[in-house]
Amino acid sequence: MNHPNRMRTAMAGGLALLAMVAIFAAPAAAQMGDAAAAVEPAAVAALDQMGAYLRTLKAYQVEAVTSREDVLENGLKAQYSNVTTILVRMPDRLFAETNGDRQQRQYYYNGKEFTLYARRLTYYATVAAPATVKELAATVDEKYGIEIPLVDLFLWGADGVSSAGITAAVDLGASSIDGVTCSHYAFRQEGLDWQIWIQKGEFPLPKRLVLTTTTDEARPQFEAKYTWNLAPSFNDAAFTFDPPADAKKIVFAEAAAAAGN
Amino acid sequence: MRIRTLKVAFALLVAFLLAGAPALEAGNKNVRNSSRSSVSNKSANRNTNVNRNSNVNVNRNRNTNVNIDRDRDIDIDVDVDHRHGCCYHDHHHGVGVVGAVAAVAVTAAVIGSTVTVLPPACTVVYANGIAYQQCGGAYYQPRYVGTSVSYVVVASPF
Repeated sequence: MNHPNRMRTAMAGGLALLAMVAIFAAPAAAQMGDAAAAVEPAAVAALDQMGAYLRTLKAYQVEAVTSREDVLENGLKAQYSNVTTILVRMPDRLFAETNGDRQQRQYYYNGKEFTLYARRLTYYATVAAPATVKELAATVDEKYGIEIPLVDLFLWGADGVSSAGITAAVDLGASSIDGVTCSHYAFRQEGLDWQIWIQKGEFPLPKRLVLTTTTDEARPQFEAKYTWNLAPSFNDAAFTFDPPADAKKIVFAEAAAAAGN
Repeated sequence: MRIRTLKVAFALLVAFLLAGAPALEAGNKNVRNSSRSSVSNKSANRNTNVNRNSNVNVNRNRNTNVNIDRDRDIDIDVDVDHRHGCCYHDHHHGVGVVGAVAAVAVTAAVIGSTVTVLPPACTVVYANGIAYQQCGGAYYQPRYVGTSVSYVVVASPF
């Protein structure tokens, strides 16, 4: 996928761009005296290009090794690891599974119903769902305070999701993730500094993501490393929850009601 | 005069040991913030105060029997704010029988209060196809708050 000629062309293009940036941006940055405010258009363009590519995918499976951090009241940080798998068939099928020390969950969406199943507790809750994965993500977030795992993967590049909120964007150069050459970028938006590694070449997939939450002085981090399968095999039953014999049906607390208690 | 001062000091010390120490422990385990886990989800981590109910219960237990609450802190001082992949262990039952008994004695009376761990010896019962946990004379309704399971004390669903 990293064809030598394409690489050379890309490098030449990159060098030309770099030269232009050096000529035009350097005096501007010197005048402003504040490099932190810089949004490199090429970095934002790379993000948009990745989003556009993601939106061309019809079906995919991603396994992500993730870690997230809690900040305790005394400022100590606690890091938890997780393995998350999602199987998506756009626009209206999703299965996700998260496995961590503290929580195991399965998410089923078949275009009509959404089910969240707690495998160890054997509880499940099912509600009617909207017609697309994207609407599902917005609905369960709003109504129940549930974030679909790896939600960025189907929101990047989607209609109405833009990079307009980015206040800093930097191209950090080439970086290897699991032997795959990636372009490494850093971005800033309100409350969040983040880095992404995008595969070079004709398949600009995100390979790694690091999020630093900046609203807490302890700056808790989330990390994900993605392994992609663009030709997953599955059948439609994978997206519909079939309750095991010991499964117990429960309800979702509505987020507004829960917060107002 | 001197003896009286000592007495007061001793009383204060006892009061601190009984009330203050568990409170400090509890504070250390509370989660004040979590890392965001997505770039695009703008409202992530928006509902910030779901755990207020838990705190109410903690205080009530503490007043009932301070020593017992050392055990209970583990169960209750968790944060139900976050979204996926977080929070607390998926345990059905509490850690200490003694502590759990205290919780029953107190929280059973408070319909609408929330706990994250059930007392022991509960039985699953169904009303209109929805599962409840019957623990002694009290009914707990399990529900998802975000992706975490917590239990609301409810009136008998029958």
